[in-house]
Amino acid sequence: MDFTNHHVMMVWRNEPCVVIGRHQNPWQEANVSHLAEKDISLARRNSGGGTVYHDRGNLNITFFTPRERYDRKYNLELIKRALFRGFGIKSVINKRDDIVVQDNYKISGTAAKLGRLTAYHHCTLLVNANKADLSKALAKREHGIQTKATESTRSPVANLADIDHKVSVESLQTAVGYEYLRTPALHIEDGGQTLIKKQRGFQFVNPTNEWFPGLSGLRNELESWDWCFGRTPVFTVSRTFPVPAELLAPSRVYRASEELVINMTVEKGLISDVTLNIPPGLVESGFHGEASVITHLKGKRFTSEALSALQDAMLTRHLSNDIKKLDEKEQFVAKCFDQVVNTI
Amino acid sequence: MDDIGTVGISNYAQESLGDIVFAQLPDPGTKVKAGDECGALESVKAASEIYSPVSGVITEKNNNVENKPGLINTSSFDKGWLFKLQLTNPEELNELMSEEDYEKFLKSDVEKDHT
Repeated sequence: MDFTNHHVMMVWRNEPCVVIGRHQNPWQEANVSHLAEKDISLARRNSGGGTVYHDRGNLNITFFTPRERYDRKYNLELIKRALFRGFGIKSVINKRDDIVVQDNYKISGTAAKLGRLTAYHHCTLLVNANKADLSKALAKREHGIQTKATESTRSPVANLADIDHKVSVESLQTAVGYEYLRTPALHIEDGGQTLIKKQRGFQFVNPTNEWFPGLSGLRNELESWDWCFGRTPVFTVSRTFPVPAELLAPSRVYRASEELVINMTVEKGLISDVTLNIPPGLVESGFHGEASVITHLKGKRFTSEALSALQDAMLTRHLSNDIKKLDEKEQFVAKCFDQVVNTI
Repeated sequence: MDDIGTVGISNYAQESLGDIVFAQLPDPGTKVKAGDECGALESVKAASEIYSPVSGVITEKNNNVENKPGLINTSSFDKGWLFKLQLTNPEELNELMSEEDYEKFLKSDVEKDHT
């Protein structure tokens, strides 16, 4: 689309999902296994910035312009005016381009993508999102991840409906929409009804391949594991697990507490290297699976897929083919790997 | 004779982007055509697409920049190079602006903003 003489603002909503920025690490930002359990989707967007939680109580707004007219402050100022004109709500746009109410509650986060000729700036607006689900999905965990990926900045959040119960996603959509139509494209000013009458007004957008040829292709790519997880910048994980005393050789006395250390390097979402520091106590009590584990894990996705590979690795070590179960030491090692890969 | 070119962004570009916090560069072996998107630079939560100015095959990406994206800001013409590629169509170089042309272009752009 050519936005030279025609700017567009799009408002939209999602079913529950966590959206990470283009250069982020999903395992660092969200509890990935928890999301799968709760049927919360994970998406990686094309714009920069941090991680947000969307549900039907959150309104997304995208501002499309030619690249040289990309102006986030203008867009956010417009939203600020809509909040005041529509609901009397006072808000502040902070240095990070967050919209904040009541001094420190974030109601909106921002991100953008700049192309050669066009650009978009999009932001969220929390109206009546489920804050409990949001907190659980984005909860801070001891994941042991070291990475160059961009990290999110945490903020306390608030729902606009908590501040004024008249705010709903529908009424907000209308307020922001009319503010957009009554404001001249290049500077903030109230053009009133006169200007509104000159605009194209509200239109429904039908996000299908028929309306937007090529959309299915884009959608398939954005839904793929390779995009959501495979695009993660290379990272390392390091976790330490104290070995329960009962798994150590009983006749020995150990000077320090015995710890299993698991280190992994993950490239493009696949395990590329593993090192295990197996404490002497665990070796002496019979765990010898190290080399096999490493070989079996390389190339596997940093997901539960790795755990099945791990199980196979340890079972192939059993000398007799009758023993199809992991012994206690192997179960312990498997449990530790489970925690590493599921970042819990 | 190998036609290897080094691609980076201009000083004007790094200044207008602001502090770059992440550089996503194309992997060696990637084939690109002139104008193709081949990576992105992130600054102040905006991802800015990188376009290859010419067609070719990527031979090297700058790992230093991946580890320290700020090099693009401090040294866009030297240490902050982004990637190298083997040109498959050297005639495309004629379509690009020279440094002199670019400076003239920047000045005229600035004048446009002020009228």
